[in-house]
Amino acid sequence: MLFSRNWIGDYVALPESAQEVADRLTAAGLAVDSVESVDDDALLDIDITTNRPDCMNHFGLARELAVLTGGVVQEPDASYTIAEEHASAAAELVIEDAELCPRYTALIIRGVEVGPSPDWMVKRLEAIGSRSINNVVDITNYVMWETGQPLHAFDLHRLAGTENGAPAQVRVRRAHDGETLKTLDGEVRKLDPSILVIADAEQAIGLGGIMGGYDSEVTESTVDVLLEAAHFDPKCIQKGSKKLGMHTDASHRFERGADPKACLRASRRAAKLIVELAGGEILAGELDDKQLRDDWPHVLELDLEKLNRFGGVELGSDEVTATLKGLGFGLEPLDAEPATRWRVTVPSWRYYDFENPRVADLYEEVLRIHGFDGIVSTLPQIGGDDAPARYEHVRARRVRDHLVACGYAEAIDFAFTDRSSDQALPSLFGDRAPLALRNPLSDRYAVMRRSLLSNLVASARYNQRRGAQVVRLFEVGHVFADDGEGDRLEMETVAWVVGGQLGTPWERQHDIDFYDLKGVLDSLSALLGVELSVRASQVKGLGNGAAAEIRLHSLAASTAAADTAAADSAADSAATESEAEVIGYLGELDSDDGSYPLFVAELALDRLGHADARLAIQAPSKYPAIAADLTLTHAVDVPWSKIAGTIREHAASELREFDLKDRYRGKGVPAGAVNTTVSFVYNSDERSLAQEEVNDAHERLARRLEEAFGYGSEE
Amino acid sequence: MTTSSSELQKLAEKFEHAVSQVRDRSGWDALRLEWTGRKQGLLRSLMGRMKEIPAAERRDYGQGVNRLKQAVEKRLAALGEELAEAERRAQQSQRQLDVTLPGRRPEIGSLHPITRVNREIEAIFTEMGYSVADGPEIEDDFHNFEALNFPPGHPAREMQDTLFLENGLLLRTHTSPVQIRTMLAREKPPIRVICPGRVYRNDTDLRHSPMFHQVEGLAVAEGITLGDLKGTLEEFVKRLFSADTGIRLRPSFFPFTEPSAEVDVTCPFCNGRGCPVCSNTGWMEILGSGMVDPRVLEGCGIDPERYSGFAFGLGIDRVAMIKYGIGNIRMLFDNDERMLRQVRI
Repeated sequence: MLFSRNWIGDYVALPESAQEVADRLTAAGLAVDSVESVDDDALLDIDITTNRPDCMNHFGLARELAVLTGGVVQEPDASYTIAEEHASAAAELVIEDAELCPRYTALIIRGVEVGPSPDWMVKRLEAIGSRSINNVVDITNYVMWETGQPLHAFDLHRLAGTENGAPAQVRVRRAHDGETLKTLDGEVRKLDPSILVIADAEQAIGLGGIMGGYDSEVTESTVDVLLEAAHFDPKCIQKGSKKLGMHTDASHRFERGADPKACLRASRRAAKLIVELAGGEILAGELDDKQLRDDWPHVLELDLEKLNRFGGVELGSDEVTATLKGLGFGLEPLDAEPATRWRVTVPSWRYYDFENPRVADLYEEVLRIHGFDGIVSTLPQIGGDDAPARYEHVRARRVRDHLVACGYAEAIDFAFTDRSSDQALPSLFGDRAPLALRNPLSDRYAVMRRSLLSNLVASARYNQRRGAQVVRLFEVGHVFADDGEGDRLEMETVAWVVGGQLGTPWERQHDIDFYDLKGVLDSLSALLGVELSVRASQVKGLGNGAAAEIRLHSLAASTAAADTAAADSAADSAATESEAEVIGYLGELDSDDGSYPLFVAELALDRLGHADARLAIQAPSKYPAIAADLTLTHAVDVPWSKIAGTIREHAASELREFDLKDRYRGKGVPAGAVNTTVSFVYNSDERSLAQEEVNDAHERLARRLEEAFGYGSEE
Repeated sequence: MTTSSSELQKLAEKFEHAVSQVRDRSGWDALRLEWTGRKQGLLRSLMGRMKEIPAAERRDYGQGVNRLKQAVEKRLAALGEELAEAERRAQQSQRQLDVTLPGRRPEIGSLHPITRVNREIEAIFTEMGYSVADGPEIEDDFHNFEALNFPPGHPAREMQDTLFLENGLLLRTHTSPVQIRTMLAREKPPIRVICPGRVYRNDTDLRHSPMFHQVEGLAVAEGITLGDLKGTLEEFVKRLFSADTGIRLRPSFFPFTEPSAEVDVTCPFCNGRGCPVCSNTGWMEILGSGMVDPRVLEGCGIDPERYSGFAFGLGIDRVAMIKYGIGNIRMLFDNDERMLRQVRI
């Protein structure tokens, strides 16, 4: 909001430098964004916070500066001589809804000559961005920018019933349903009873606190003027201007809270200027209907010692008194001079800022004028720690660290996405609908993501398009869905995407495939101490035959290193496992965009429970281990989980560990078959195993595997 | 000395001479064949001459030949090792590694700059005794506004550029609702928490993203003062930026604090001397703060007559942009791996 330095200077002596004026205001909470020199003046662009409508005018700023510089403010001159005729002969007022309009005042000026404003006024108004219209209208604007009180001038003779010299009827009422009004800007507004109007005996002539009516405005032909200065309830103006989509200088002030006592002060000042600049005479008496709220003015008790303790300052009685009095607060000492306790009355222009008042509001007033620079720094005297770290917080940190250790770069994507991206991928919320935004920035951000993958895949594509040979990204974040009952579902998941060719020939490159993706899941489940089962499945958006669902098998009870293979085999044998909730997906992205394939996975962290890997470490045997390999030729459709299950079921107790060593198809292996090589480690904690006993056990196992799975041996 | 023993003596000298002439493996092979060959080796023929030796000298002769044989074999073996060692050294000097070739680096990923900065902030405050709290990103009006002293319809709400959902809920515009949830959940103060997380506003340009990150802090206890707020923030920015970073509090307005202050820190690029980054002011505005409004405390069941508190909030994205020299906030969410992978863990 723009203000003129010289205009402020009409009411208080200012420092020479406009920058110093700006710095003083900024230090007191009226942030000056810029100072621009214009001719012999300076324009200050001030960011006035919503709680300070009393400073959205030049006099209000002068009052602040007077306190800040130790000066004295001069009220604008509002003295004039009055005509014999009484205003009540020209108009009658009725407030029909005092809650929405606690006060309505009017002055009548007869015999004005409407014309252009003098140059000085045009210059001042235009400098702060207000267009000059004619002298009477300009004066109402000028006085608003001077005092903060919005004013409106009606052409008295355009009000109904005044043709024969009868008094005009001015009513403040709610609009009728379907009532219309053409406002000053030429728009025809359709109204309803939530909107407050100023009306004559027949129809609405203005929107209360927002904008006047087109048909009653002051024009070149106007002779007699009804000058309105009223006070409107902020909530009424907030609702009305929002409903009508209108925002005016007047509504801006009323919806933040104007000064209910400023009405007549402002209209007298305007009337004086009208008579000076447009001629005419002011009728005797003021029309003033008011029903101010019972809880005004606000009164508080202030204790100097508490103030000093709260602020970390050591202010004296004099400084506090001078500050508050300068700002217009009424002070009544409650103890002997120099007083340390006061009963403080809040000035009328701060009523709304002090709604439901607290003494902290007064502390703020004193401290902001004193300046925050003088506050002595201390630290809170609270011992110990607040609370232990939450499990979820630690878990998210470990998951991030783990994916970084796996070579992935962390991404952060927007939490909203477009509908088709959201539709294209599976959601861990099943069939739950997405949550749509009511006011999205664009269709690209229409719904809240149900999967991290919708945007993470887009980020992977972004890298692919820029020529990345390999993409490895992960994200930990929230996903959302409609719970079907008007509320939201929200949970934390982790997702990762990988594809391309890792490394160069020098770095022993390899093409990324499904098992690189799954390896991250395997190590993650070990990290978190959960056993997951992975089962081939049809998954939306993932390629046929290269997609799987992840389910929780059980919390790891005994194994230090969770092993998905163990859970996989159990899942195959136990039908109940398939009833368990799907908590993740993984697979190859179904796409034919010509670039290398992307492999994606998502896992619901919030559905893993509070599992944690056991910390206990198993001491290695002090006896030498015996290693053995085994190569089994079997049909390609025999799943590893079955082979592993059979090994686990039939292995000798000395089998310490086994793992897949290699898979081979090609020369020497029949079509339809595959060679699976498994490595075994045998050992005992009690004794050295003899090669012969290991050989026996190993051969027995080999025979069993051959019988069960050997190629051509089934049937 | 008998003839035969002087002959053996000569042979020994001859062998020594021959050994001194050997330069390589083929010379060694030839020498070995000449002396210890099974069929025509010199030693073999010396043994063959045994029956020509008079019986009285035969014993001495035999012993002499054996000594010679042992000496020759030992010397040949030693020589063989010397040659092998020399050859290995020669080979090694031939296959000298190019140590300037790049090593095969372990594949390690990277944390997002925002996570990285957030962790720094969390570490600072947990060292100061704070705990870390979080909450939902989709909020209701009560937690995001009403409990924070934003009256319904008040213009202060408009300034939050709220994104609403069709079901009437909203995307939190700050992490302050987590403060409310924390205060409501706790039995009583003292409370010291920070609340980091994603927040949303209907606003987008070079410096604003519709999604960004905030960390807010809250301390509530008996006797908390504005001085405590100032001291805490001073300590925080010194640890976050550098020990000579200063702060400046400017009175401002937030509905949930009273008094409220914007906090500027000395520009980390010029140490407050003034530079283009800080528009030559020497200051950067990065924090909002204030004393928790008594109405907010009361609404959370905390007696404002007994307890007071301070709260503050800052944009993590903004700090990340300052620390990493990123000019456009949207770059933080492009997720270009070429940028992400520059962030050191």
